Amino acid sequence: MWSGGGRGGGRSVVDEDEKLDRSQTRVVLIRSIKMAGEFRRTAALAMFYVVITVLCALAGPVLVRHGIDSGINAKDARVLNMTVIAYLVVVAVAYVIGRLQYVALNSAGEGFLRLLRIRVFTQMQRQSMAFFDREKAGVLVARMTADVESMSELVQWGLMQFLSSFLLLFFAFFLLLSMSWQLTLISLIVFPFLIAASVKFQRDSSRAYLEVREKVGANLSALQEGITGVRVIQAYAREDEQIRRFKESNRELFRSHLYSVKVSTWYFGLIEFAGIASSALIVGLGGFLVHRGSVSLGTVVAFVLLLATLFDPVQQLSQLYNTLQSAAASLHKLFAIIDAEPDVEESTHPTPLPSTGNLVVENITFAYAGSAKPALDNVSVTLTAGTRLALVGPTGAGKSTLAKLMARLYDPQEGSVSFGGINLRDASMEDLRGRIVVIPQEGFLFDGSVRDNLLIAKPDATEAELLAALDRLGLRERFEALPEGLNTEVRERGSRLSAGERQLVALSRAALVDPAVLVLDEATSNLDPGTEMLIEAALERLMVGRSVIVVAHRLSTVQRADKIAVVADAQIAEIGTHDELVALNGHYALLAATWNKTQPH
Amino acid sequence: MTNEAKGVTREGWRLLFATLKLQQRALIMGACVGLAWTLGKVAVPQLTKLAIDRGIEKNGSLLLWTMLILAAAVIAGVFAGWRRYIAFRESRLTETMLRERIFAQIQGLHVGYHDKAQTGQLMSRSSSDLQQVQGFVVNIPIFVSQITMVIGVVVILFFSDPILAAVSLFPLPFINISARSFSHKIHPAVMAVQQEQAQLANIVEESVSGIRVVKGFGAEAVQQGKLNIEADDIRRESMRAARIRSRFLPAIDLLPSLGLVAVLGLGGHRVINGDMSLGGLVAFNTYLTMLIWPMRNIGMTVAFAQRAASALLRVNEILSEVPAIADAVEPRKLPQAGLAQPVGAVSFDNVVFGYDIGHADITVLNGLSLTIAPGESVAIVGATGSGKSTITRLLLRFYDPQSGSITLDGVDLRDLTLSDLRRAVGVVFEDTLLFNDTVSANIAFAKPEINQEIVIRAAKLAGAHEFIMQLPQQYDTVLGERGFSLSGGQRQRIAIARAIVADSRVLVLDDATSAVDPTKEHEIRDALATVMRGRTTLVIAHRPATIELADRAVLLDNGVIAAVGTHHELLATNEKYREVLAAWSSPQVVE
Repeated sequence: MWSGGGRGGGRSVVDEDEKLDRSQTRVVLIRSIKMAGEFRRTAALAMFYVVITVLCALAGPVLVRHGIDSGINAKDARVLNMTVIAYLVVVAVAYVIGRLQYVALNSAGEGFLRLLRIRVFTQMQRQSMAFFDREKAGVLVARMTADVESMSELVQWGLMQFLSSFLLLFFAFFLLLSMSWQLTLISLIVFPFLIAASVKFQRDSSRAYLEVREKVGANLSALQEGITGVRVIQAYAREDEQIRRFKESNRELFRSHLYSVKVSTWYFGLIEFAGIASSALIVGLGGFLVHRGSVSLGTVVAFVLLLATLFDPVQQLSQLYNTLQSAAASLHKLFAIIDAEPDVEESTHPTPLPSTGNLVVENITFAYAGSAKPALDNVSVTLTAGTRLALVGPTGAGKSTLAKLMARLYDPQEGSVSFGGINLRDASMEDLRGRIVVIPQEGFLFDGSVRDNLLIAKPDATEAELLAALDRLGLRERFEALPEGLNTEVRERGSRLSAGERQLVALSRAALVDPAVLVLDEATSNLDPGTEMLIEAALERLMVGRSVIVVAHRLSTVQRADKIAVVADAQIAEIGTHDELVALNGHYALLAATWNKTQPH
Repeated sequence: MTNEAKGVTREGWRLLFATLKLQQRALIMGACVGLAWTLGKVAVPQLTKLAIDRGIEKNGSLLLWTMLILAAAVIAGVFAGWRRYIAFRESRLTETMLRERIFAQIQGLHVGYHDKAQTGQLMSRSSSDLQQVQGFVVNIPIFVSQITMVIGVVVILFFSDPILAAVSLFPLPFINISARSFSHKIHPAVMAVQQEQAQLANIVEESVSGIRVVKGFGAEAVQQGKLNIEADDIRRESMRAARIRSRFLPAIDLLPSLGLVAVLGLGGHRVINGDMSLGGLVAFNTYLTMLIWPMRNIGMTVAFAQRAASALLRVNEILSEVPAIADAVEPRKLPQAGLAQPVGAVSFDNVVFGYDIGHADITVLNGLSLTIAPGESVAIVGATGSGKSTITRLLLRFYDPQSGSITLDGVDLRDLTLSDLRRAVGVVFEDTLLFNDTVSANIAFAKPEINQEIVIRAAKLAGAHEFIMQLPQQYDTVLGERGFSLSGGQRQRIAIARAIVADSRVLVLDDATSAVDPTKEHEIRDALATVMRGRTTLVIAHRPATIELADRAVLLDNGVIAAVGTHHELLATNEKYREVLAAWSSPQVVE
């Protein structure tokens, strides 16, 4: 869009794939709990439900033990019947509470995610252009999508599972202990091995997973390249080569999948073995204790049954721990965006801007973040109300930067930009955007109708205002000639509109705002001729009665300006009218001569 | 389900089985391994029962039974791991092979197909649809062993106590039914959530890439409003999914407990009455618990299979597409260049062509005839929509003309193999696509085996060497979407270098200088002039400076050649020519 203009390196606030240490994780968790303030009651309720369902789950084996020992072994049919009824009640309670638990936990979680989405987006939009220069678009989108979604799995069932697994193990341990400390010790024999195995498995499999993810990414981009590049590939008859390369990446992906399975194979086998082996130990050693009379048969049976229910939670805990960790990492990145202070900040007590006035740049120095060399070094220039100033100069010399600073898309490190005597820093953003409008090289369209796209400049404009603005540019008929007039849906970033039509939308937006100052970045590439003429005519009309700053690439544009500033090496090298500068026989004269040679008259 | 839908589903199943046939042996192996696991697993409760009854209650040998249970544990463990390995290996293999087939097919399909197909659609065929297939295949070995396990356990239970079996097994079919029904209901709900997430992503994406417009007009609130709506929608849809889960999952979890209650109650009385042993009761209990997971999984696998079948149907739509532009059955060869016989003669003879966009009667070229001698360069000038770029596409045989013919060195394009033709015609497109590879590889695209010196020479000729040397790793810098991004002008220069390396007998420059900064255009003009020397060249351009490079210019109007001459002749004599050129260049000062 903006041609030229150095992109600063700058430290990104949103790093990829970092791993959190324990204290960071804690900070992140505490912060999310604080942020979830308004859902705390629902969340607390959900916890309560979780505790009840866990107790119900544990009640089953306990009741079975009771039934066996006091009912069956004691040949007491009444106790047995009571136990059965109690068991039924427990099941019913577990069902009802289970349903409530899902709804409560999800409603707290989804509410939190909604809040997070909105907060992050708000904060993202508050950032200055410098932020968007620094951060890759794809990364920012990923924060709002993949990172937030990585938590939704957790919200849907993970957190609940984690909690109930944890509580189940916790309660079960005391329960087992209360029934028989000997048998508890026996059942604990396998757990250290199990935990060690789980930890190793998690470590290996998360490494394998990263590998898989990387290969999936590479494979997807190879695929996309093959689809979007199919015309070039066919034009150069490189299909076979391309297929060979794709196969390579595809096989690599396959190998990485295979590796991740190999890493987990032994673990799943071991879990299966450990589950059965521990009941073997209980039966064997427990049986021995029964013979000695230190435990009851019912207790042994209850242990066998309980242990079966404890293996899943151990596995789940170790798996969920990973999910929890990556969610914490995601949250950390999201909080980094929320915490980023915008470097172009709105004044808290804004001074209103006059409706018109001179735009004065005084001694500004500006460097892009991470770049030692200033893009502009002590530059001063005045745009008198109602006149046109053309900025020319070599690519990267700073002309686009100057234009951006004049619209306060960035703030200078030193010096000031003022409009009608008011420093732009002291004005409200609303005032500022009403006075100074930037029109980029290419018309960018948002999803929605043409009307929606025009109204983005001034959402509260009436239909009459909108039509009047189009009339002023002589574009009303052009837009009404679209298939459904202003209601035409632009689809997929305006694929239904030509590049020229998109540019017309951009001009009409500016007309709707009716600003005092226009900042234009002239297009370098050609548009279709019919529309090009229409654009030029509309632009002429739009510029009438306004101050204009144009980053110019064409002689004809430059010649129409009242004043021309040559920006070279972060300075204004020459300034004056076309004739004055030609007479000066410096940078500009040289540039004009090249233009004369390459551009038609 | 309607009859038609049933037919479609059947077709999907047929495809699924046909695909799996290739992996028949491995999958059968997986099933056998699964059966071995089942044996180990099913033995455990029986052994536990015997241990309790004979070992504990009757003071028998505890060690024997314990060792036997441990042996069963080893068998179950080994075969569980093995089964899992086979399942994943085979399912990933299915996915990998299908993806290769799709990609190869995509590469071979004619451009007319790609005009209509959406990138996203093709991408999801080869990613998410294949995942559906993988998700089913991975379940096959488990599915087989679980089915046998269910059958085995049910048989054991009925043999040991038919009445108790009937009562305690009663809730189990409901698990299966609920699991299936859940899987059917949750799928659209999850899809709806994803749909909303995609819409939110779209808003974020447009806000970020359109940030200059958003900031420029202070439209943050407008975008925020849109985002809030989507965030609300996501929450609403997620809650709908949560309510479906809340309706099914606790029920699925708890249904088996009813069986356990029945065993305790009914079985307990039987033990009291002496009709059943306590070990038998425990075994019964354990068997019931063993059935929970398989019953759930079987229901879900059936739903997975249905999804996989319909995904394969969609995949098959691509695979069964027949390329409309293909090699001739008996291809002819292009004449070789000789001293006496220069090559590169191009002739369009009365060519009529229109794009297939639903209006068959709208044609772009209406009987175009144009002959270009070997080594000659011709600039094609015309307004937008006059068919300039169509000429390039027809020459590359991206499309075939509806009538008339195009020949290269006297051979009809349709009689050549596509690769012979396309090696003979090099093209620089307006929008240059760079591949995710090094600068060198991008330049040597047409001839990957070429040596580095030639690459550098081509880059120098194209005026690209200088900026390439300033890239982080010079010629080894990786470009493309995942690599370093170049400006439009730089990309075009790489594309010109690419065409230089291709060294084809015909060169087409399709608006190849449009993105180059006008002040730098003269640098490239020299490069182009060198490349064009002695080579048949079609130049499609708007800038007079580029048009002047050609020996002659033709004015294309209404799909036919309206005028022919040198640039200066046409400029002097043809009003329409002047009009078209004036429209392309910047308007003059009106004073």
